[in-house]
Amino acid sequence: MAANGSPRNKRSYNSRRMIQSAIIHAVLLLFVFIALFPIYLMFNAALKTSRELFQSFLTLPTDPQWQNFGFILNEQGYKGALYNSLILSTSSMILTTVISVLAGYGFAVYRFIGKQWLFLLVLTGLMVSETSVLIPVYQLLQDLGLLNTYGGMILPQAALGLTFGVFLMTTFFKDIPRALIDAAVVDGGSDLQVLRHVIMPLARPAIMSLALIEFMWAWNSFFFPLVIATKQWLMPMSVRIIDFMGRFTFRYDMIAATTVILFTPILILYLVTQRSFHRGITFGALKD
Amino acid sequence: MTRFNVRPYIYIAPALIYLGIWIFYPILNALVLSFFDSPTGRSRDYFWVGIENYIKLLQDDLFLKSLYHNIIWVLLSIALPVVLGLLLAVLLSGRGRTRLVYASIFFIPHTVAAVCAAIVWRWIYDPSIGPLNWLLETVGLTGRPWLADESIVLIAVNMIGSWSYYGFCVLIFMAGLQNISPELYDAAKIDGAGALQQFFYVTIPLLRNAITFVLVYTIIGSMKFFDLIFVATNGGPNEASTVVGLRIYWHSMREGRFNYAATMSTILTVVILVLSVAVIRQIVTEDEED
Repeated sequence: MAANGSPRNKRSYNSRRMIQSAIIHAVLLLFVFIALFPIYLMFNAALKTSRELFQSFLTLPTDPQWQNFGFILNEQGYKGALYNSLILSTSSMILTTVISVLAGYGFAVYRFIGKQWLFLLVLTGLMVSETSVLIPVYQLLQDLGLLNTYGGMILPQAALGLTFGVFLMTTFFKDIPRALIDAAVVDGGSDLQVLRHVIMPLARPAIMSLALIEFMWAWNSFFFPLVIATKQWLMPMSVRIIDFMGRFTFRYDMIAATTVILFTPILILYLVTQRSFHRGITFGALKD
Repeated sequence: MTRFNVRPYIYIAPALIYLGIWIFYPILNALVLSFFDSPTGRSRDYFWVGIENYIKLLQDDLFLKSLYHNIIWVLLSIALPVVLGLLLAVLLSGRGRTRLVYASIFFIPHTVAAVCAAIVWRWIYDPSIGPLNWLLETVGLTGRPWLADESIVLIAVNMIGSWSYYGFCVLIFMAGLQNISPELYDAAKIDGAGALQQFFYVTIPLLRNAITFVLVYTIIGSMKFFDLIFVATNGGPNEASTVVGLRIYWHSMREGRFNYAATMSTILTVVILVLSVAVIRQIVTEDEED
């Protein structure tokens, strides 16, 4: 395009375009740097001795301290916390996803009295936060004897993502062509058969997105577990980290290693399933 | 169609019951609790105090300060990550597959737990051995005790929040931009619109849904946030970064003043509702005027 001998004004137009594009690239790369640099520092710090870290945090570790992770998981007993995180996230993910799929099916496929109002009621749940419901939830768990139990940690956590789940599933299911469902019904399919054989296969990517997001939320969750799981054996990783900071003040190498342990599973999950993540997060936001 | 069908209710019942137990009942219960007090914090010792808790709250300087900090946080989050997210999304539009690569990278900080982010940034901000001051001093600027300086601590913590949030905004706006047909821009160009005019008269109006969503989401997130500030500063120094979430946690879990904390929860819920509805109505009304 910018061949030699092109008219002068075209050349200046092209060079302006090039400068513009260079600036845009520079800005984008700056934000790539901002996004990744703290994460680089975190991994880097986790693999250094505190002495080497003190000398320089920029250079790669000369002698990577992989045993930092073993020390934290085994000797400091954080393996249990990792296990608790896994139980919390998996259970609340399954609970939220199953309930959301059922409700999404009900809202998207049927017409019934009070549908708009009930859907609106569900949506108001989006505006409710952990901090708003803390005290009643805490007292309810106390009355049920569920403080410091897995159940007590999982049940309210699952509720936090449920509104989002119902909303996401409803919008997704609405996109499935009516004709497909009607055809299945005419063929004598029962509700559950329609759900299993028509909706589920088409909605599998959507359900996958929801499950991943719910898993991440529960894995990273902090507030409810902090309040509900006050016994060390029950604490998930996100809460145990705090107690670690108290014991190893200024041992940034060790502290960084615990954050790496908490973060890495989610990072891998995200890198492997990016498209699913993105679909789930953007879909709900942009449907009218 | 007119025949009453019980099946949809069966499908939505689990969700409604579940939300009822863990979300709606607690919200109403917090409202009820706010009109009572209890010397022991136990429900059997409740006695009616009317609006006394609310009067105390209005005189509680620390609470008012925390609410003020939450509002500042909303404004900072709109000014930084939301605006930045919009600009980056616009810069990314029109470049093919690399767009997705950039968006994916920007989103990575959002997958870092707030607790983790707070811990890592506490170190980055550390005045004596942290990387930030070292970097600043290397280029000839003076460092500061970011998280120990009352005048900047809220902004410093918000930077951590912004770091993990801008990628989320990019993703939403990018998806919104995809729905705008390129012909509209062509038409605008033919009408002689420059880049800025295209941005304000084509992009912004057509991104209305995405903008509403992000603003409401930002308000809700900013009013309720807790993890980040709890780990980064725990409200310090001298309560210069305290927020409502911290006050609720402190009064209930540390002091056992459940009714007082429940009053704060109720006010928080009302503020979130009012702000969200205000934003939604503002934008929807503009829509109708067009």
